[in-house]
Amino acid sequence: MIWNSLRTTLFDGVATAIRRTLPQPLSTVSWYGQQEAHRVGYYDAIRQCGLVGFGALDSELLDAQAALAGATGWWWAFERVCVMAERPCELHTEPSPGGSEDERRLHHPNRAAIEYPDGTRSFVHHGTIVPEWVVLDPTAERIGRERNVEIRRCAIERIGWDAYIEEAALTLVDRTGDPGNPGCLLELYDSPGGWGAPGRILLAVNGSLERDGTRRRYGLPVPAWAPSALDAAGWTYGISGSDYARLVRRT
Amino acid sequence: MNALHTLSDITAWSGIDVLEHLDREVSVPVVDGPQAQGDLIVVPHSMLTGVVTRQPWTRTVPVPASGIELLRSAAGGNPHSLVADEDACTWTAPVADPRGLALGIVEVTGVAYLVHPEHGATGIAPGRYVIGRQRERGTGLYGAARLVAD
Repeated sequence: MIWNSLRTTLFDGVATAIRRTLPQPLSTVSWYGQQEAHRVGYYDAIRQCGLVGFGALDSELLDAQAALAGATGWWWAFERVCVMAERPCELHTEPSPGGSEDERRLHHPNRAAIEYPDGTRSFVHHGTIVPEWVVLDPTAERIGRERNVEIRRCAIERIGWDAYIEEAALTLVDRTGDPGNPGCLLELYDSPGGWGAPGRILLAVNGSLERDGTRRRYGLPVPAWAPSALDAAGWTYGISGSDYARLVRRT
Repeated sequence: MNALHTLSDITAWSGIDVLEHLDREVSVPVVDGPQAQGDLIVVPHSMLTGVVTRQPWTRTVPVPASGIELLRSAAGGNPHSLVADEDACTWTAPVADPRGLALGIVEVTGVAYLVHPEHGATGIAPGRYVIGRQRERGTGLYGAARLVAD
């Protein structure tokens, strides 16, 4: 449990983001240090629970590794010299969704999720490593130029689908009341050019309130052939538009 | 169970709590038409006859009072749960569905409720329904659809 949870958080999350701050992407960088704390934590837990007897040398080694994990960044030991890297001065995380063992992932809504004293930093949106503009200055124009689907999605989530559709001046194809969701609209837009396969975007409104009392609007990419907002909404659930029109309730 | 009317009645009875900003005194209707709860939809089986079918390994089980967890959402890991009185509802899964969306078939003889911490509760009237997921167009090479996780 300690091993898997910490390994996911540190190795898959933090270390991956740090690797991205390196000047040129290196396929393999070997290192020891902070993000290996899952090993230290695992053996330390075994020691503290007295599950296995530790020899004096084993204990000493584990203590040294724990001290290193707590005191320095990545380190590389050579015969007469040890190279130690700075630790990040900023590191922001949030609980990973679906994490069964309190795993965390990097995230900060409006600044770098990980930053070093020298200004080297990495931006992460809910665990996805993104370019700086996605967090600091997401605009419809930049989103339109972005080729990577995941990054585009992160950037749109940052400004909100409704703001994005307005800013990007997408063409409205169809608009109708959302059956089962009184007072709310379904809107069908053409995707902008340069988004790969042609398609459309369905903008819908949640059936339940958010904590702040508003209803969240969200966009779903739908096939280009969807002729109407009802057909598009029906397609998302695998039923016809006329069946979707009979929806009696949405929560 | 028929006496259940409000969201607070249902959360107290099922033991599944909902987020505190939802209005607990709101009455929860029990309906027999298609209805959606976030990224799940409940559709009368007649709308999908011949589409969603049993397989040799499909099993039907009674829905226990503690409920069945149908699907966990991405944000916060909140599940959609199906709850019902003892002997008021059965759950049939896994089913064959060329659309790849159906989670299973629910057969309600009393009243069943779909409960989700963020979406509240909704009642399902007696009848046979398919509960399925939502999809969106993928933006990959061939534009294969992918499942929505809200």
